[in-house]
Amino acid sequence: MHELSMADAIVKTVLDVAEKNQAEEILEVTIEVGKLTMLNPEQLRFLLDVLTKDTLLEGAEIIIEEIPVEINCLSCNYKGSTNLDDSDHYLMIVKCPECDERNLEIVTGQECNVKNIRIEKPD
Amino acid sequence: MHKIADVEIQHDIMVANKKLAQRNQRILDKADVFSIDVLGAIGSGKTSLIELLIDRMDEKIGVIAGDVISKFDAGRFQKYNVPVIGLNTGKECHLDAHLVEHALEDLPLDEMDILFVENVGNLICPVDFDLGSHMRMVVISVSEGDDTVEKHPLIFKDADLVVINKIDIAEAVGADAEKMVKDAKMLNPDVEIIKSSLKTEEGLEKIIDSIKRFKENI
Ligand SMILES: Nc1nc2c(ncn2[C@@H]2O[C@H](COP(=O)(O)OP(=O)(O)OP(=O)(O)O)[C@@H](O)[C@H]2O)c(=O)[nH]1
Ligand SMILES: [Mg+2]
Ligand SMILES: [Zn+2]
Repeated sequence: MHELSMADAIVKTVLDVAEKNQAEEILEVTIEVGKLTMLNPEQLRFLLDVLTKDTLLEGAEIIIEEIPVEINCLSCNYKGSTNLDDSDHYLMIVKCPECDERNLEIVTGQECNVKNIRIEKPD
Repeated sequence: MHKIADVEIQHDIMVANKKLAQRNQRILDKADVFSIDVLGAIGSGKTSLIELLIDRMDEKIGVIAGDVISKFDAGRFQKYNVPVIGLNTGKECHLDAHLVEHALEDLPLDEMDILFVENVGNLICPVDFDLGSHMRMVVISVSEGDDTVEKHPLIFKDADLVVINKIDIAEAVGADAEKMVKDAKMLNPDVEIIKSSLKTEEGLEKIIDSIKRFKENI
């Protein structure tokens, strides 16, 4: 799967921002991962550990927040969360909990967002 | 002295890819090129279908062939004397908008009407990555088993056209093509679904008509 390219993009983004902010150390990184992306948080975490070795990011605490799926049903206008069968990563099927239709718009759950970092920098 | 600071980033990698995809679409629009993503399972007939379309459609066609080792599919297209860019995805399981952007730079867009972008054979990963095309065609075949659609709902949700290929061998592999049609309809009520055999060319005219219709309505 593509956790590797994602992890790579995350590391580049964080290091870039850290440098622009004269960070001497990165203490914490928060990443939001939508439940509907084809990304497995555990695999992502493992790869981030590998990729951050010998960078400013090494040793930083990596917080992965899973973003639940919210939908907008085009059949009955229901807005909100949905029932996900996530017994298997690939079997997730989204449908409206109100009317059971699958004619819907996904509002959240597709993100891979580098949210923020906590850094140490000179005064 | 040191201080601790929280720095807001809010950089969504998915959104960044989407933005690049939108830029790709603007480049295509400017050159008046209609672009079609061709996604699907490994060996479902993506390359075979594009080859037939190059041959039968009365349009100037170009191809971006994404593959783990690109020279195989790209080599097949080169025989048709159309502009082809092979993209090596290497260990990656999908094309992304950035790779496509570079391929667009190398294609003679002004001399093309239609661009086919063949993605890596994979029903999972490409879902997350818009490339900037105008139409998404998903090609699967009966030989993957008639539960393929149910198992990979997301790729069908965003499809404009679903081709269920190799119906000539459905009986031999014990697959029910009608079930696949029904599953795809349930996931995406508006999607157009065409059963085809690229061996007998059944369904090929319908696929061509569907592409033409989409192209006109763009
Ligand atoms: N019987 C039968 N065989 C087909 C049909 N369409 C394609 N094939 C065969 O299926 C095999 C794979 O076809 P390709 O067109 O290379 O499939 P692909 O989806 O491009 O494969 P990858 O790019 O490797 O994922 C070839 O041997 C084709 O001749 C069909 O409708 N019926
Ligand atoms: Mg191919
Ligand atoms: Zn509903």
